[in-house]
This record gives sequence, C-alpha cells and structure tokens, in this order.
Amino acid sequence: MIGLRVEGLAHVYLAGAVRALDGVDLEIGPGELVALVGQNGSGKSTLVRHLNGLLRPTEGRVWVDGVDAAGRTVAQLARLVGSVFQDPDRQIFAGSVRAEVEFGPRNLGLAGTQLRAAVAEALAAVGLDGQEDANPFDLGDTRRKLLTLASVLAMGTPVLVLDEPTTGQDARGMGLVRAVIAAAHGAGRTIIAVSHDMSFVADDFDRIIVMSAGRVILDGAPEEVFAEEQWPLLASTFLEPPLAARVGARLGLGSTPADAALIRALADRGQQLDGKGAKPPHQPT
Amino acid sequence: MACSPGSHETCTDTVLSLRGVSYRYAGATDPAIRDVDLTLQDGELLGIVGASEAGKTTLCLVAAGLAPRTIRGSLSGTVHLDGEDAASLQMHELAARIGICFQRPWTQLSGVCETVFEEVAFGPMNLGVPRQETLARTDEALTALAITDVASRDPARLSGGQMQLVAIAGLLAMEPAHLVLDEPTAQLDPAGTRLVADALARLAANGASILIAEQRTDLLAALCSRIIVLQAGRVIRDGPTVEVLTDPELPRQGVPETSAGRLRRLATEAGIATELLDQALD
Amino acid sequence: MPAFLERSPPSRWHALNPLTKLIFATVTALVGLIVGGLIGPLILVTVAVLLPASVAGVLSRLVRTSVLVSLPIAISTLLINVFFFPGGQDVLLRLGPVVATREGVSFALEILARILTISGAITLFYLTTRPSELVLDLESRGVSPRVAFVAHASVQTVPAMLERASNIVAAQRARGLDTEGSLVRRIRGLLPVVAPVVLGSIVEVEERTLALEARGFTRPGRRALLWFPADSARQRAARWLLVSAVPAAALAAAYGLLAWLP
Repeated sequence: MIGLRVEGLAHVYLAGAVRALDGVDLEIGPGELVALVGQNGSGKSTLVRHLNGLLRPTEGRVWVDGVDAAGRTVAQLARLVGSVFQDPDRQIFAGSVRAEVEFGPRNLGLAGTQLRAAVAEALAAVGLDGQEDANPFDLGDTRRKLLTLASVLAMGTPVLVLDEPTTGQDARGMGLVRAVIAAAHGAGRTIIAVSHDMSFVADDFDRIIVMSAGRVILDGAPEEVFAEEQWPLLASTFLEPPLAARVGARLGLGSTPADAALIRALADRGQQLDGKGAKPPHQPT
Repeated sequence: MACSPGSHETCTDTVLSLRGVSYRYAGATDPAIRDVDLTLQDGELLGIVGASEAGKTTLCLVAAGLAPRTIRGSLSGTVHLDGEDAASLQMHELAARIGICFQRPWTQLSGVCETVFEEVAFGPMNLGVPRQETLARTDEALTALAITDVASRDPARLSGGQMQLVAIAGLLAMEPAHLVLDEPTAQLDPAGTRLVADALARLAANGASILIAEQRTDLLAALCSRIIVLQAGRVIRDGPTVEVLTDPELPRQGVPETSAGRLRRLATEAGIATELLDQALD
Repeated sequence: MPAFLERSPPSRWHALNPLTKLIFATVTALVGLIVGGLIGPLILVTVAVLLPASVAGVLSRLVRTSVLVSLPIAISTLLINVFFFPGGQDVLLRLGPVVATREGVSFALEILARILTISGAITLFYLTTRPSELVLDLESRGVSPRVAFVAHASVQTVPAMLERASNIVAAQRARGLDTEGSLVRRIRGLLPVVAPVVLGSIVEVEERTLALEARGFTRPGRRALLWFPADSARQRAARWLLVSAVPAAALAAAYGLLAWLP
C-alpha cells in the first residue's frame, strides 16, 4: 500500500497562457478511496497525469511512495501508479484481447504463469473471460472500455488512477466497474477516480476532492462535500449534488449524499416517529 | 386523427413507422435487431433503452436510413416515413427528412468549417438550398438551440456539450420531419448534459418528433412520453414512460434504474414507507 | 449575412484571389528553376517573394519559416556539392581526404538560391492564403464540392492526428512503454503507438462518414456558397501574363539570352 503527496503543485501550458494547476497541496494516504471531481478545465486530468510522471510540475513537487517523482521515469512510476485513460480507442492496439491485456504486465517484467494468471484474473474481474481471442474492435464500446480497465488491473500496481470509468457504460458495465473498485480497495490498493457522475462518487468513495480553475475548493467525506451549505460553491463550478442529498435536505435529514445514507436516515426518522417500532429495517451496506 | 400506440395503421399523425424490421450487418451471422415494430407520432418523444449492444444504435441507423444505405447489410420488413415507403429514397433525400445525431460530438463536425455558423449551414448547402434561405434557416436553427452567441467561434474549440448543440442545430437547419438521437449525452459532462437536455425539452415543446436512445434513464423520464425496451435485438416492452421505467424487471434487462426509482426500491426493501420519499421527490 | 463571414483580409496581397496567389507562387518557383546562375534567382526572390511578403506584413515569419524548412536540404546540398563537386579544380580548403573547391561552392550557392526561391514562393502562398479560401474559390469555379471537401479535410486531419498520437503515446507510457530506453526497445514500442493512431482513425473515419452522409453530403450537384473570394478582370489578365512568363523564361534560357547573369 502506498500513498501520494503533492505540494505547491502548479502546471502551466502553452508558455504561460494556461495555468492548469494553480498551487495544489494534497496528501492521499495508502489504501484511500478518493474521487476527483470538477468540470472540464478544472485541472483534474492535469493533476492525475503528474502522478505517473506524464506531466512534470512547473512548480512544486510530487511524491509517490515517499520518493520525489522528479527522479523517476514514467516507466518506473508505471510500476506504482496504473492509469486508465478515458478513451479506449487511444490505447487499444493489439489484435486480441489477451495480447492487449498482456502488454502492461509484460512491460513490468511479468512472464510465464505469473503473466497468464494476472491476465486471467483481470479479464474475469471485468467479465471478459472467454473473450481472450476476440479482436478488441469487434467488442462494443462498453466492453472495450472494460478491456482498458483490465489492461491496467493486470499490472497489479498499488495505486490505480481511473479517468471517467463510468462514462458511456451501461448498467452491467457500471456494476462491473463498481465491483472492480470495491475489490481493489479491499485488496489495499489506493484508488483515485476522476469522475463527473455525482451519485457514483457519493455512493462508492470515502473522500471527494472538488477542483475548480486549477485549485482544490473542497476536500472531505461525501457528507461534508455535498452538505447543503456547500451547494452554492458546487453550483458555481457547475456540479450538482446527487438526488439523495437533495431529498435528504428537503426532508431535513441532514447530509445524505449516498443512497444508503438517505435510507438509513429515513429508517431512523421512521423509528422516531413510529414509536411502536416498525419492522426492523434491513440495513443496506 | 390520433393513432393509438402500437397500432399498425398508417395514420397521418405517424411520422415514422417500422414494421417487422430485422437488420443484419454485412458479414454478421445474426441480425442485430429482429422483428421490430415501432411507431413515432408527430410531436412525440420516444425513448429507447437497453443494455449496450442490445441494438439501440442499429435501430437508430435503420430509422435514419443509414442502414442499409451507407452501412452495408440486409434489411427485412418495412420503414415508412410520413406514410411513404423509405426503401426507394436515397440517402441525401432522407437527410432532408430525418436528422441523426451520434454520441461523439467531435466526429460530427465537418472539419472544414471555421465558424459555427458555417458548420450549421453545411447541411442545407449540401442539399442545394439557395443562399438566402440557407442564411435564414441557419439563423433559426442557432436560435432554436440558443447558441447564437457562439456563431462566430471555431466549432472545434467548443465544449463537448456545445458541440452537440451545434451538431443538432446543423440537423435542424435541414428542416427534417423528425430527429433520431443515439446516446447524445453519453460522452458529456453534467453541464453539457444539461445543455442538451434543456435544448431537447425546448424542441419538444415546439412540437418536434424525436427518437432518442439513452442510458441515462433520468433524462428520458423527464423528456419522453413513451419508452421502448430492447433486449438482444427485440422489443420487449413498449409503453408509457412511468410504467416502463418503474418495472422491477428493468435492471435485469440491463437498463439502469432512474435515481428516484432506485431510492424508492431501496426504501421498500428496507421496509420504509415511501410517502415521505414520494413527497420529496416531486 | 453575418459580418464575420465576410473575411476582411489584412493586406492587399491577402485580398488577391487565391488562384492568383497560387499561380504567382508556381510561376516564381518554375522561373527560379529555369533561370540559371545566382543573381537571377536572387533578384526573383527579392521581387517576387520578399517584396510581396513585406506588403502582406509577413516578412519576418516568411524568412523564419522558409529558412527553417529549407535548412535540412540546404545543409546536405551544401556539404555534398562543396566537397564532392566533380571536376572541381580550384581548391579552397583541405580537410583531410576531402577538398572544398571554388566550383563546388559556386554550384552549391546556385542550388541554394533556387531552393530559397521555391521555398520562399510556397511559404508566401501558405502564409497569405487560408485553405478554406482556396477550396471555396475552386468550388466556385466548378470543382465538385465533394472533391473540394476531401482536399480540405485532408489538410485539417494532420493536427488532429498529431494530437491523437500524443494522447496515445501518453496512454501507452502509462502502461510501461519504454520511450527512453535502447533503440531496439523504442522500435518495438512503435506498434503500440502507430496501431491505435491508424485503427482509431479508421473507426473515426467510419463515424465521420455516417455523419457526413446524414447531412446530405452525397447529393450530386453544386452548392450555393455563402461566400467565395472575389476575382477581377485585371487579375485574370495578370494570371495569363504570369503563366506566359514560364515558356518565355524557358526560351530565353534556351537561346542563351540569360548567359550574362552570373
């Protein structure tokens, strides 16, 4: 399990024209489950590209597992930080699903039975087991996206960065992505997901970092970030709290951004009002 | 003369009707859609839902005529546009009557227009519309989508949501009888999705006939009067929005629940009475 | 018609019809090739490249761009001809086994002058003409809109492809692709970069084709253009005059009338 830290991070594009990151200080502990949200242009994609060295800071420092990233190449950092990009068609190159998933772990030096096991496990996790010989371009959009997830899962990196993992997914795909994240978290991997799906981040993540114009404007648990007093700030960056949060606020139940939290709050309220005690509520986990 | 949904009569109000339509892509062993019956009424918004690869895109391509004209394959069954058999129409004739929008905004730009205005005018110009009328139609389309303020900008530099609006404006400028939208918000962020949703609501209020395939059932719940569910290429449900989207079988058919629907289900499973929830949800 | 569609050209040279500018550039390049020696091309460069460039306000950009573009070929030409000119007698410099001869230098300079004329002429055209202008002009003259579109779109794909390629390189490096190792490893790393560029472009072309067809692209016949560049009888006459300069120069060269130019 490894952690990451950035200090005073700034990144400037196009010879000073665009200040994509404007002084970011963040510490992500080992094994944390973090979501990074913000509208396009907020700097979230720029930030995560510093975590594996694809971008180097204009100012400030980045530490991966306690070591300054400046002293390591992208290939070295790729052993620690696995990054899944948003567009599968800007990554998939192999003629078969198997070859595509093998690429990453092979670059890291895996071979033989270890390689085969890593590939099989990754494919099973995304529901593509049985498709090893299929041509990636014969798979539909959603399964190609799952393929890119498998390709990075197979690398077994302690940190996993996911860029918009649920965009364009259907219900089954969503379920698989959420299961993969839960499993990886359970195995101790540090997870950072960039997403604009507010109910997904509220339900599945322990910590939400909100970015706007290159800075972090909110950082905390979902209950804090989606609390009613933060709504104007969220609105200013074109983000809307999930339905559960809005319903919870309307009913005066406090901050309930996740569906489960709202249901729990409703159950508690029901028990209070209905003193006789309704049938014990089943607590959804 | 109003027609009842599911009726197979050719009514004057039916702008699009598919009867017993199956489509198999060239080189494929199985058809992508089978025995599909679908009617779109004038001024109606019909939603299409289903798991990925259930046939939503194929259905959209067939409705728009791109299959089998541009995309090779074999079509069986009939497609009627405004009561006329579409089989005899060529693609450019169809383009003037029905517009189709895809999920990736950037591939829909012509790539050769330096301003949004010219991009929107691209369609009517291709159709040979005279200059003055092209100018008028472009102005109207820009107004209908509320994007007049970006008319002089480079379309390639807009946000995803804005690009989608430009794409839809470009279709409207051809003055089609109806629109087909294949997951128009799939690649957009929340701000972009809201832009497109508001624009579609405006178009609907002005009487547009729209066929829209989407994963975002919340969006369809707000816009559509009727929903069709596709599974493995077949229509398994066709009915009013509220009925279809509250069907408990839906998740098993690969269709995501609406946010409100999910909350209600979780509440019911937890044994909580839903009155309070219902109150807060309207 | 909205004002921004009426492109207001930044200079009188920019305002010339694109066909005129194209013919001007072509004739300059051809005459530069035909006319021998050193002084001829230099006069041509001054009159037909530098002068219009300064009228158009693009002089410094032109000099920078055309020098940069011609640099690789200029250097190799110079080296080959200065040191390896056959029959060179008058030795200027001896560097071990290779000798620089005066004949070699003089020949190299002549070639350089021609290279600069051609690259200058082309750069002048490129800097003062927008692709859309040229395409619309051709279409207004009867070129099929579909042909015009393909020509225009292919020019525009280059920046898009480059951007795509850089995204792909980033994604593959994140999976451990070694772009900083030995040559062999870097060559092996080409497929994961080139394949998605090509394959992805193919997928994109399919989608683009569908979108174009859905916008009536395949309808035969011409379109009523919103705007196209102006032309005039004077420019038409000037173009004929320019075109005739090519055979005239060829004849003059053949009859040795230009022999007096060193």
